[in-house]
Amino acid sequence: MSLSSKPSSSGSAPKSPGSKQRSSGSGRRTTWRDTLKALPWLAPALVLIVGVVFFPAGLMLFNSTRDLAISGLDKGSVGFDNYATVFGFSQFWPIIGRTVIWVVAVVGLTVVISLGLAQVLNKAFPGRQLVRLAVIIPWAASVVMTTMVFYYGLEPYFGVVNKFFVDLGLIDNPAGYGWTKNPTTAFLWSIVIAIFVSLPFTTYTLLAGLATIPRETIEAARMDAAGPVRTYFAVILPQLRGALSVAVLINIINVFNSLPILKVMTGSIPGYGADTIMTMIFKYIELQRKVDVASALSVIAFAIVIIIVIVYVRVVKPLKEV
Amino acid sequence: MSASLDRNTQDTAPGTQDTAPGTQAPPRRTKRYTEDKVPLGTVIGRMIVGLVVLAVFILPYLIMVFGSVKTKSQIRSVDPTYFPQEWHWENFASMWSTPETPLAQNMISTVIISVCATLLVLVVALPAAYYTARFRFPGRMVFMFLVIVTQMLQPAVLTSGLFRQFSILGLGDTWAAMILVNAAFNLSFATWIMHSFFAGIPKEIDEAARLDGASQLAVLFRINLPLVWPGIVTAIVFTFVACWNEFAASLVILSTAGNQPISVALTKFVGQYETSWQYVFGVSIVGILPVVLLFMLIEKRLVGGLTTGSVK
Amino acid sequence: MRRTRTLGAIAATAALTLTVSGCGFGGSDSGDESGKTTLDFLVPTYSDVTKGLWEDVIEGFEAENEDISVNLEVQSWDNLEKVVSTKIQAGEAPDIYNGGPFAGFASDDLLYKAEDVTSPETFQDFDEGFLDNETLEGTAYAVPLIASTRALFVNNELLDEAGVKEAPKDWDELLDASKKVSELGDGVAGYGMPLGSEEAQAEAAIWLWGAGGTFGDEKEITIDTPENLEGAKQIKKMIDEGATQDDPGSSQRTPLLDIFVQGKIGMQVGLPPTVGQIKDSNPDLDYSVVPIPTKDGSPMTLGVGDQLMAFQNDGDKAEAITKFFDYFYTAENYLPWVEAEGFLPVTKSGSEELADNEDLKPFLDLMPDAQFYPSTNSKWSATDGAFKSTFGELESKPADEVLGSIQDQVDEG
Repeated sequence: MSLSSKPSSSGSAPKSPGSKQRSSGSGRRTTWRDTLKALPWLAPALVLIVGVVFFPAGLMLFNSTRDLAISGLDKGSVGFDNYATVFGFSQFWPIIGRTVIWVVAVVGLTVVISLGLAQVLNKAFPGRQLVRLAVIIPWAASVVMTTMVFYYGLEPYFGVVNKFFVDLGLIDNPAGYGWTKNPTTAFLWSIVIAIFVSLPFTTYTLLAGLATIPRETIEAARMDAAGPVRTYFAVILPQLRGALSVAVLINIINVFNSLPILKVMTGSIPGYGADTIMTMIFKYIELQRKVDVASALSVIAFAIVIIIVIVYVRVVKPLKEV
Repeated sequence: MSASLDRNTQDTAPGTQDTAPGTQAPPRRTKRYTEDKVPLGTVIGRMIVGLVVLAVFILPYLIMVFGSVKTKSQIRSVDPTYFPQEWHWENFASMWSTPETPLAQNMISTVIISVCATLLVLVVALPAAYYTARFRFPGRMVFMFLVIVTQMLQPAVLTSGLFRQFSILGLGDTWAAMILVNAAFNLSFATWIMHSFFAGIPKEIDEAARLDGASQLAVLFRINLPLVWPGIVTAIVFTFVACWNEFAASLVILSTAGNQPISVALTKFVGQYETSWQYVFGVSIVGILPVVLLFMLIEKRLVGGLTTGSVK
Repeated sequence: MRRTRTLGAIAATAALTLTVSGCGFGGSDSGDESGKTTLDFLVPTYSDVTKGLWEDVIEGFEAENEDISVNLEVQSWDNLEKVVSTKIQAGEAPDIYNGGPFAGFASDDLLYKAEDVTSPETFQDFDEGFLDNETLEGTAYAVPLIASTRALFVNNELLDEAGVKEAPKDWDELLDASKKVSELGDGVAGYGMPLGSEEAQAEAAIWLWGAGGTFGDEKEITIDTPENLEGAKQIKKMIDEGATQDDPGSSQRTPLLDIFVQGKIGMQVGLPPTVGQIKDSNPDLDYSVVPIPTKDGSPMTLGVGDQLMAFQNDGDKAEAITKFFDYFYTAENYLPWVEAEGFLPVTKSGSEELADNEDLKPFLDLMPDAQFYPSTNSKWSATDGAFKSTFGELESKPADEVLGSIQDQVDEG
């Protein structure tokens, strides 16, 4: 959807004469009466959203301006002090920077790998059904459990991944290397896992996209004696744009909000050398018991993701304008 | 090359072929198998690549399977082996009667919560998706944006508000509360994807039907629904998987052990100084299987479903 | 046209209602029979027997007190505090809670006084030393549940192999012995040093207090002191001279102890349940349990007590809670519980009965030298959190910087 390109998106201004009006089926102008007619159809969804989500979201906003005791008791308003605490934290900007790296690296690499994976799974070969099913498993499994398995495999002493590296002679220490004990390697492995669990959804979206590319388009390109690489970039990739842009949008939101992977992988590491906004929210709640400050950071995070999404939607226009 | 297959490609979803609903086009995949005259070497090459992909995606879960058949002390052995030396399959029997958590009840809870929440999402999202795709009215985009905003909130901070809200409503510690929570937070994706599917169906079909005197509801259910079926399947899968693995809200809202879903039950095996990893892994596998089975059953429809929703 | 749309909405709404009511309300079992007092009881998982043990206690209690029913909720330690603070914020605190620090709750006036929820007999049976730890400004707000002291677990075989004759008593000997064991190679580490977030404050206490330092008292938290600095510098010395395992700054206690149990670590500080763990998973381990080495060899150990506390909720449940505590703390109910979990008892009668228990003896003997966290200080939670998130940085940062940073976090919080 494109938020900006439609007058109706503002929601505040009813149609003014002369405002751009896209034709709908009947070609007539829409008015608030139409909104009223729409209401019965939207009401169940609105009731559910308003009923369930508004109170906790409102409480988050409210808590971000309160002083909450460790016990959870409300000790009154502190204005914007909690926000000041968040911004005053010496690690705030490195954490923001790491969050950006996290989102860009995970989403970017996921897309690149998925494009390749989708090509593979789109080709006919015996056993493809099985491979497709395997690709789906990380989607079905909970992210926490997938991460736990990686963590377990990467631990020194206990993990088979470490054993594997030791057996190959890549690591000298028979106990293995502390992948999950050092900020940089733990963060890199977290990116690997995040990509791993994002692949199924992205790949399947692209696979579906590939299935809709007209066969004759590709054949026409071949007739023009274009090589496979050229065919791919000139013909196939542009056709995947729609599928890709939706997948990227959903991935951005999910990866930005993802907590379990980093929590498990970097949880034992002292300091803030592997933290993103989400693990910082977690640390404010769990270690420092500052639900108020955590709420403030959550509000900031929420604002950031909304801005990202708005910018993305404006630039990429992932959905057809309806 | 048959005509129907060619048409399949244009600007259309599988569902928008003007054939009557119900007469599905023959599966594309079968066609590719037979039509592609690829050299044997290429096929073998593809199989090798496929094998690598298979290995990468299965290996982590093999660690899980192997872990689940070890004993508590084997699993924490500082001298790990690639394969278990003894296969304690009985772990899969004993996990149902551990003192830590009533797993059978947890399973039932998970199924009930996930199925009901998914149904609720469908019932709520379907009319909204249909109407927003078919009719224009002021505030429509506001509505669509409001819907996707729910997806952007960080659950960790919302749980305390959710708990308080459902306590006030007298729904603390009930499945109903979790069904509502799951439905509300998964509404967004379902609405968006179904919206784009409906949008992919030519309006003329609706208008023709209305001219024939069909009611708006009949148009939705009899004409549109069969056409957007792949989109609905996609929405079902997404919602179901998300509900199946939901943890943060269930943890605080459901306090009775028997009401809790598997995701929460798993944590009960984590003690202060020792953890029953064999059960953590075993229960995870038991938790994954139903979802994989679901995938298996609808994989074809899923691919079709994703196509339309995203490309349109 | 309008009519049909409205109809559609009605149909949808009806379907929604049906779905919710059809699937939904079966889950609740909060059928409160009138006249019955219900106690909500929230506990953490100590081990895989915890839930069963509490269920036995509750069953026996409910049989004796038919007008009271107890709702047990078990959570892992990871999730316990999140769950309890959520409940408190919503005004739904559990009636009885088994947890760590109570001072925050007490200073917010949420707790019953211990004497109001126990009979005099039960109250007087608590060991005074433990009861002191539940006391804020002269009033006890919680009752002790279990206790532990820490001791050094020594792998005799590895020390022999490394040519160390006797278990170390002071820091110099410990450093020397650990280095020798580390030099054995093959993935063997001399001293197991867990400074990761799991329980960084415990390993910190063992070293910082070993130089005569403290974390402060009820009034003041003092981390950045010369004595504590000496302890922290000794930790760095251990790390820098290769006496510990790799990555001590981010090593978690539990997995590290697993490695000790399997004979790959020379020495590590453990606690009573460690004995049971060794019995379970590696009974052949040749080990001994000795006092923790300190700077000059003077005796010191870290004592930790967990407690039960009773929240004041709507309706007066003090009487029912008193009945429950009195029932639980009788020797016949309490001792099996403590023994099964492998901790030290906190009642006088219990200590007498378990005095001959061989597994517990080394730990009971250390009791007189035990020092405790300043958990009655309302800033202790912040201190605890600061240790967990920061102390492991000792591995790479100067000691005074780390202690200063923890002190700053405490003073700010």
